[in-house]
Amino acid sequence: MRFLTPWTALGAAAVAVPLLLLLYFLKLKRREQIVSSTLLWQRAVQDLQVNAPFQRLRKNILLFLQLLMLAALLFGLAGPILSLTGGGARRHVILIDRSASMSATDVKPSRLAEAKRQARIYVESLRSEAFFRLRGDRDETMLIAFDSRAKVMCNFTSDKQQLFSAIDRIEGGDGGSALGEAIMVAQAFSLAPDDQPANESSQERAKLILFSDGRIRDADRLMVDAANLTFHCIGESGENIGVTAMQARRSYENPDDVEVFSTVANYGPEPVTTDVQLSVNESVRAVKSVSIPAGGWDRGEPGKVAVHFSLSSQDSGVLAVSQMRRDVLASDDTAWSILEPAKKLNVLLVTEGNTVLELALKACPLAGLDIMTPSEFDANSVSNFSLQDLYDVIVLDGCQPARMPRSRYMVFGRPPKNIDVSVIGELQGQVVVDWRPKHAVLKYVSLTNLFAQKCYGLDLPRDAEILAEFNESPALTLVRRDGSVFLLAPFDILNSNWPFEPSFVLFCYNAVSFLGMQVGQNQEANLLVGEPISIDGLGADQSVLVDGPVFSGREIKASPNGSVRFPATDRAGIYGVRSEGTDSRLFAVNLLDSSESNIAPRRALVFSGQEVTAEEGAFSLANVPLWPVLVGIVLFLACLEWFVYSRKMRI
Amino acid sequence: MEETKTTRARKRLTDLLDPEFMNRLDSLDVLSRKILQGKLQGERRSKRRGQSVEFADHRPYVAGDDLRFVDWNIYGRLEQLFLKLFVEEQDLTVHIVADTSASIGLGEPSKELFIKKLAAALGYVSLVNNNRVSISLFADGLVGQLANMRGRNYIHQMADFLLSASCEGESRFENACRQITSGRIGSGVMIVLSDFFFKEGYDAALRRLIGRQYDLYVIQVLSREELSPDFGGDLKLIDVEDADAAEITVSAALVKYYKRNLAAYCNELKDFCIRRGAVYALANSVDSVESLVLNYLRRIRLLR
Repeated sequence: MRFLTPWTALGAAAVAVPLLLLLYFLKLKRREQIVSSTLLWQRAVQDLQVNAPFQRLRKNILLFLQLLMLAALLFGLAGPILSLTGGGARRHVILIDRSASMSATDVKPSRLAEAKRQARIYVESLRSEAFFRLRGDRDETMLIAFDSRAKVMCNFTSDKQQLFSAIDRIEGGDGGSALGEAIMVAQAFSLAPDDQPANESSQERAKLILFSDGRIRDADRLMVDAANLTFHCIGESGENIGVTAMQARRSYENPDDVEVFSTVANYGPEPVTTDVQLSVNESVRAVKSVSIPAGGWDRGEPGKVAVHFSLSSQDSGVLAVSQMRRDVLASDDTAWSILEPAKKLNVLLVTEGNTVLELALKACPLAGLDIMTPSEFDANSVSNFSLQDLYDVIVLDGCQPARMPRSRYMVFGRPPKNIDVSVIGELQGQVVVDWRPKHAVLKYVSLTNLFAQKCYGLDLPRDAEILAEFNESPALTLVRRDGSVFLLAPFDILNSNWPFEPSFVLFCYNAVSFLGMQVGQNQEANLLVGEPISIDGLGADQSVLVDGPVFSGREIKASPNGSVRFPATDRAGIYGVRSEGTDSRLFAVNLLDSSESNIAPRRALVFSGQEVTAEEGAFSLANVPLWPVLVGIVLFLACLEWFVYSRKMRI
Repeated sequence: MEETKTTRARKRLTDLLDPEFMNRLDSLDVLSRKILQGKLQGERRSKRRGQSVEFADHRPYVAGDDLRFVDWNIYGRLEQLFLKLFVEEQDLTVHIVADTSASIGLGEPSKELFIKKLAAALGYVSLVNNNRVSISLFADGLVGQLANMRGRNYIHQMADFLLSASCEGESRFENACRQITSGRIGSGVMIVLSDFFFKEGYDAALRRLIGRQYDLYVIQVLSREELSPDFGGDLKLIDVEDADAAEITVSAALVKYYKRNLAAYCNELKDFCIRRGAVYALANSVDSVESLVLNYLRRIRLLR
């Protein structure tokens, strides 16, 4: 049992108890009655009082009852709470997982709703700001909802209503769950200088209370004091079937043909048979029945089946792959992909003259190949910014244009400036020592015999993707900068033996196909949950409306350079961005996250070696306020006192 | 003129005593447990040897004795002169002491009337039987005395005296007793009528009366309110005599204590009287004087 406001009660007691006793000593206004002698009366009164002033208080049941009543009142004023769990830390941070797996309905109505319910109970049981408060304990609580990012719902407060409304505001998302940011935010807030320096609780370390299903991706990388974290595990079942991968790709050779690849995973302990349905623009095109083997769901290894659809479509559209079996997590049952309209590629070759390259590109099935000199390209890129719309791939052969419109580039020779790639010197006589034959660019390409007489040594940024290596420097590198993709080959092909190798033509074919089809705009339309939608080329301050799966018509203003970023893609589904008078541009936001589809609750979290197990048993009220009981006692005593008084006054 | 005075006196007498009651009283007489010295020759045996028909003793003749009382029969047998002695019969003094302090005026019906009636009845019995009757009224001292009445003729005077007395003043019983005993009233039956609520106590006063040659009867008269109080609430009780105040909150417990105290007080008085050879009686002013006199006082052998 603890008291929230013991000092208030003591103060009130210091006033009220002597007052009550004083009232008993006060003289009443009495009716006068003449008697023949007061002799016997005085003796009787003396007998009753037995002379000493405090004797009159003895055996006075009315006073006893009143004192009891007063004691109960004062006790209630002290704010007693029954602490069922120890309330050591006075600052709490409630962390509520709102990732995709928390939308599972194995706990009715859903895991997130259950987490919110338990959080409400927890908040309810905290010691709040007492009404009559001189100096008392109170708990301050902060509320953070997290998926892959943390969102502070409510800063440290002891106002329960504020916390309740903050809990109610938490909405489920389809993101992954990463606790790191949330813990960082919590620690940052709990260390922030408090505006009430007198409050001693601000000096204490905040206690973390985690409501989650335990599917936290970055738990092993976090430094958390396990003693300071209480984990309430929510969730019962791990049975779930989800689409964990999906890609729709037009054939390079015949753009009408669309290949749809998807993976359906079973996280349950039993093998299941389910129908997988492909729909285009919400009309069903194909249904396949697949049997998915059982996954070792406790080990986190699902049973997987790859499902492949082929269809023929010239138009753009929204492809959706759905598994039709009902399960507890709905958001991973469907994956979407935006299908661009069928088209052949337009390629621009910027060169002073390179017949080999020209011939190799002409061999590819292109819609058109234009050739410019570097000076023409510079002139065009300054005056006409639509180069990026005209050409799917731009091939730079030994030239460094002054301006680079956003596009996909294949660069031979010295790499362009401003892409964080610097040249550290020229190297002689390089041979390829290693390459990645499984990458789309190097499929069926053998670089065994490739020899470059002269090449540039490169210092690459960390995110560069090296596809092939010479003995001293990268030979083929993929670099993404500012929305552009650069495939760098830092040597002049005419100074190598590559044109005489069959691999060269294959490389050109693969590279144009990869840059044009796979990393193009098509890729920008297919996002994962949490990735921002970004659109460029709008007018300055033009406003667009965003429609999502759970909202519509959210207005966003473009930045002065004409670009729009919409980061709130926390639900999986189709998003549309429209501006006045134009068609909606569609984006598919998918979960496609194997670790979120695996919804088996994990009862023990391991934080960098320290294990935190979930609290066992049903979550119940930790601090029970006792004042209503005391008020009841006071009422009862008042009735009893009245009864005793009326009994006593009856002679 | 003479007649109207008499009728007025009669009327006032009948205020105190019904004619029928008086008829019944005629057959009664006052008894004394002691043989007391009277003043005049009367109907009671005394310790004195004197003239009467009842033989007491013989004694040798000495010169100067009355030759009429010489027992000549003994002289004939023994040739010695003996005198016959007889028990002298004297009258009985009945002394009625009635309380007329302010406290007697209270009560419903009032103790005053009760005491006056009782005094009148006792006086009537005594006068009818040719006893000498003195009536003393006291409050803070002796406030009135009608002494040495004898014979029926005094009945109306006694009634007048009783009815004209008013109840006022404090009660100083000891003071009154000192005055009574210092008066020239002979020994005899003394009947004290009072509520005996004396703040200064009754011990010393009663000891004075017992110490003298009195056959003492103590009759304590209390009203119904005094025996069982029926008021309630928070009260300030004011003593009618000395205006002393007692603040009480009437509760069942307090009333219980009061009754217990009253019983203890009366018992104490009774014990005091019995230990000293006096007779104690408690009367409630609600009860009728007639039944008290005709039944109770006969039972305690005050009357015959």
